[in-house]
Amino acid sequence: MLNRLTYRQTYLLLTALLAVAVVLSAGVGAFSFAPATLWRYVEQGLGILPRDPADLLGRNVFFDLRLPRVLLSGLTGAILGVSGTLMQGLFRNPIVEPGLAGTSAGASLGAAAVFVLGNTTMRVLSPLGAFAVPACAFLGGLAATLIVYRVSSGFGKVNVFTLLLAGIAVNAVCNAGTGFLSYVARDPQARNITFWNLGTFTTAEWHGVTLVGVVFLICLAWALRQGKALNALMLGEDEAAALGTDPRRLIVRLIVLNTLMVAVDAAMVGVVAFIGLVVPHVLRMARSSDYDFLIPASALFGAALMEIIDVAARLVIPPAELPIGILTAIIGAPVFLWMLLRQQARSDPARG
Amino acid sequence: MVELTDVGFRVGQTDILSGVSAAFRPGRFNVILGPNGAGKSTLLRIAAGLLTPSAGAVRYADRPVERLDREALARVRAVLSQDVQLVFPLSVEEVVLMGRYPHYGRVPTARDRRIVEDALEVVDLTARRRQPYPTLSGGERQKVQLARVLAQIWSDDRSPGPKVLFLDEPTSNLDVHYQIHILDVARGLLAGDCTVVAILHDLNAAFEYGDAFYVLEGGRLVETADSAERISAGLLERVFRVQARRAVDSGGGGGYWRFSR
Repeated sequence: MLNRLTYRQTYLLLTALLAVAVVLSAGVGAFSFAPATLWRYVEQGLGILPRDPADLLGRNVFFDLRLPRVLLSGLTGAILGVSGTLMQGLFRNPIVEPGLAGTSAGASLGAAAVFVLGNTTMRVLSPLGAFAVPACAFLGGLAATLIVYRVSSGFGKVNVFTLLLAGIAVNAVCNAGTGFLSYVARDPQARNITFWNLGTFTTAEWHGVTLVGVVFLICLAWALRQGKALNALMLGEDEAAALGTDPRRLIVRLIVLNTLMVAVDAAMVGVVAFIGLVVPHVLRMARSSDYDFLIPASALFGAALMEIIDVAARLVIPPAELPIGILTAIIGAPVFLWMLLRQQARSDPARG
Repeated sequence: MVELTDVGFRVGQTDILSGVSAAFRPGRFNVILGPNGAGKSTLLRIAAGLLTPSAGAVRYADRPVERLDREALARVRAVLSQDVQLVFPLSVEEVVLMGRYPHYGRVPTARDRRIVEDALEVVDLTARRRQPYPTLSGGERQKVQLARVLAQIWSDDRSPGPKVLFLDEPTSNLDVHYQIHILDVARGLLAGDCTVVAILHDLNAAFEYGDAFYVLEGGRLVETADSAERISAGLLERVFRVQARRAVDSGGGGGYWRFSR
C-alpha cells in the first residue's frame, strides 16, 4: 500500500492525517468550533489578536476543556502505538500490546489504590503529592509486566501461548483488585473508577497533560535510538548480542521506560485496549517491520487514530459520550482475532 | 586467534563443560565434533563471547573477550546459529543488512549496501532480495542468515584484518548442493586471514573440510587433532557409539568413513 513511499513521505502523510484529525477533534463536540474560530482562539490565546470579550466563553471552553482533551487523546494514542511497537519488539511477536500483557491493568490497579485508599491508609505516599497516583500506577504496571515477561520467556526465547495466558491471569487479578476497590469505595469515587476503567478523556486537565507529555517525550527520545537494536533482537537474544548490541540491557530499559509512559498515561485515562495492537499492525502491513520506521510512525498514526476514535466517542450518543475503551475494543478485538488466525495458519505459533 | 583456557560451564550442579582448552588459529577450518548433548553449542557460544564461562578464560588475540567493546568485537566476529526464528515479515535484504549494523550509525552507507548485494550473490539469493523472510523455506532462511554473517565480517580494503566466523551446524537445513557450497564459502574465507570454527555433524564432510579437530564428549575435550588421519576409528566408535569402517572411494581413490550401529 505505502510500499512505494519512502519513510519520509510516509511520515509526511501520517503527519497530515494527524493534523486533520486534531483540527476535527478540536472542533467537534457539545460546543462545535469551525476551523476559522479555532484559529482565532489560538491567535487570541497567544496574544497575536486582542482578546475579544464576546469570545470569552468559547475561548475558555476551548483552552480549559477541549485543548487538554485533544492533547491527552493524541498523547494516549501515540503512547499506546509506540508501546505496542516496543512490546512487540520485547516479546518478539506482533500480537502483544500493553493491554494484553497486563501493563495497563496493573497501572490502573496501582492508580485506583491511591484514589480509593490514598487519604486514609496510604499516608506514606503523602510526600509524593500529585505524583502519588502516577508513581503507584508505574509500580503496578511494572509488577504486572515483569510477571508476564518472566513467565513467558526463558532461554532467550518467548513462548506466545504462555505470554497470552499469563496476560489473561495478570489482567484478571488486576481487574479483580480494581473491582474490589471500586466496591469498597464511596460513591463518587466508585463511579469514577468504573468509568475510567473503560478509558476516558473527560478528566483531561493541563497538569496531567503536561506530565504525560513530558514522560512521553523522554521515552520517545530513548526509543527512537533503539531501532537497530530492536531489529537485531527480532532474530533472538544470541543473534542480537553477536551483532554487538546488549540485549539484556535493552530489555531492562525497554520494560522500565515502556511501563513508565503507559502507567503515567493509564493513571490519567484508564485502560484503552487494542490501540497498541492495531497501530503497529497496520504500519507493518502497509509499509515495513523495520523498528527505525515503526517507532516514529506508530507515534504519529496512534495519535491520529486516537483523535478520530475520540471524535466518534463524542458523536455516537450525544449529548453523552461513550467510554473510549468500548470503541477501541470493538475495533481492535476483531483485528486481534484475525491476527491470531493468521499466525496460527502460517506457522507453529508456540515457537514464537 | 581465539584461545580458550581451561573453560568450564556449570548450570546448577551440572557441568556442561569442564577443563576445555583450545586455540583456534587463523587461516584454519576448526571443527568441533561430538555427539548430541556433548556441549558443542555451549562451547561455541562461549568462544564467540556470547556466554560467560563459569571457569577459565577466552582471549581474542591475547585480550580477554569480556574486555572487548561489543560493537568492535561484532565487526570482526560473526555467529551463524542453527535455526533463526523470525515471525516479522522483514525482507531478505533487510535481514542481511543487519549484518552491517555494527558498522554504521543511523543510515547504511553505499558500501554497506554494496556488501549486502555481494553477500546475497554469494548465496544465490539476489533474485529473492525483496521476499519476506518468513515465506522462505528452511534452507533458504539458512542461506539468508549465512549472507548476513558474511556481510558482518566482509573483508575488503576498508575493513582488512583477521576475522572470526562461528558456524553452528551450518549445513543442517541445506540440500547437498548447498551443503558443499556453504563449506566451500567458509573455506574461501580462510585465505583472507579468517578463523572458522564450525560444529559439524556430517563426519565425512568434517574430515574433508576441516584442518583442526576438537572432539567433545560429556563436556570434556577428549581429542584434539591437526589432521583427519589422526582421528582413530576406535575414538569415533567410542564417542559416537557406532561401528566405524574406513571405505575407499572407487572413483577418486580417497577414503571415507562408513558408520553402522
